[in-house]
Amino acid sequence: MNSSPSPAPPRLSDTARTAASVALAIYLFGLVLAIAGNTVSGSSALVRVIKGRLFSPWMQPAWLDLGFDHPLTYGMPEDASHVIKVRRRGGEPATLSMPDSTFGEGPARWRRLARAIAEAAPADAAAPLVAGVAAGSFATLAAEDVTVRVLRRPLEDRSASSGEQRPQQVFAARVRRVAGELQVIELGGAAKRVELAPVIRPPVPSNRTDSEGAADE
Amino acid sequence: MSEPSAPPSSAPLSSTSAADRVARTWIDFWFEPASPQPLAVVRILAGLLGLALAASYAGSLVAWFGPDGMIPSDAVASWRPRVSFSPLDAVTTTTGLWLFFGGLVVALAAVTVGVASRVACVMAAILWAALLNRGPMLAGPADDCLAVILWCLAVGPSGNAWSLDRLLRDRRGLPPPPPSPWARTSLGLLRVHAAAITVGVVLAQLKGDVWWNGTAAWWLAAAAEPTVVDLTGLYRRSEYLVNLVTHGVVAFEILYLAGLWFDASRQIVCRVGLVAWPLIGVLAGEPFWGLAMAIFGVPWALGRATPVAAGLPSADD
Repeated sequence: MNSSPSPAPPRLSDTARTAASVALAIYLFGLVLAIAGNTVSGSSALVRVIKGRLFSPWMQPAWLDLGFDHPLTYGMPEDASHVIKVRRRGGEPATLSMPDSTFGEGPARWRRLARAIAEAAPADAAAPLVAGVAAGSFATLAAEDVTVRVLRRPLEDRSASSGEQRPQQVFAARVRRVAGELQVIELGGAAKRVELAPVIRPPVPSNRTDSEGAADE
Repeated sequence: MSEPSAPPSSAPLSSTSAADRVARTWIDFWFEPASPQPLAVVRILAGLLGLALAASYAGSLVAWFGPDGMIPSDAVASWRPRVSFSPLDAVTTTTGLWLFFGGLVVALAAVTVGVASRVACVMAAILWAALLNRGPMLAGPADDCLAVILWCLAVGPSGNAWSLDRLLRDRRGLPPPPPSPWARTSLGLLRVHAAAITVGVVLAQLKGDVWWNGTAAWWLAAAAEPTVVDLTGLYRRSEYLVNLVTHGVVAFEILYLAGLWFDASRQIVCRVGLVAWPLIGVLAGEPFWGLAMAIFGVPWALGRATPVAAGLPSADD
């Protein structure tokens, strides 16, 4: 056995240490901004501008512009499990269900895709994804006219009696290819319905003439 | 060890020594040479986690990103931030897609067994980020953690221990690599990110009523797929149990966050974290995220129990 003392471990030169310290300080500042700027609560204009101009251009492609904003649950209906169903319109009935199994990270990714569509629907931003999902299903379903639906398993209240509940439809759209062009026709769903305001009409007095009513409008 | 510099005669003694202490603490935290062994354990576990997460893409890779895939790159472009991009956007053939994916798997396998570890970690981090940016709506919290761990590992010499490279080096009769300042930097980054992620999680949870009124555990169980672990029956019997689990999760996270920064508590919280994080992951229906969080704390959970060669500092030194 070698009894000689082991050599001293190498240390960084002052220059290397200074350079590394500057790089670390810049990165740590970016990390703080990433956490402050990626929350569900939104962020200030100052944080957005500094992060967007100085940090996001290199942190985002490296998948480091992250807020780690994972509450795990807020007990909201959106936290429930989502699935995508694509059904052929006309002809023999055929339906694709995604995910087609429940356990594992692969099905979890499908559920995230379904949830992304449901969350984008109220802002009318779901169409590109829905068109993609439909177009990707055309070959399997041997049809170019399908209905894409996103279903959500309802969250059961603890005090409610246990029992299987029907999934809620949160988004539905008809997608067809006509002359090579994809058309997305939204059919509604819970995600869209919340946008609708109730129609309130003032009662029209029976002795009012039509011309008076028109003037009000 | 460098000699402490004498304070300038014109400066007050207390302020100079305070600045020196800050500088010394910074240098010790980031650059004091450290053993690569704790980092090697993280490397192996992260490689295995990466292979498992990559496998979850394999079954639907072409269905998502193929030429007629369900997530076309132009749809994603409007989805992700303007500055973001993925090299995978340019891959338009199935063969190209599989070649890319094969490259990712090879890089993650090289990370796991320790072949050209630094290069492998950089390659794995770049390819992993490219995959996530290609379909950001598919990414989950475990994917975020893996990306961070891979970048942290890329900084340090994680292949200097328990690796194929080290095995070949030993066979050639070369002396073992000495402790490295970059190993310390890498460990520091892991610790900072473990804290940052926990801060993000705790802040997000404390914005929600369910984490205050003690019902979050129920909603987690109600939202989970029934085949994972169905705790709803158990929770129906006792509201106190639901409250206990909910508050227990938040309490653990806060204790973990604080405990990471004290020598006396770091090993304890990291050891508890080896069990608690995966358990929280299962409760939340995100088991891989739980595993990833546990991996962050592995260097300090091992602590002095690691068979570190005599004279080499451990992650705690």
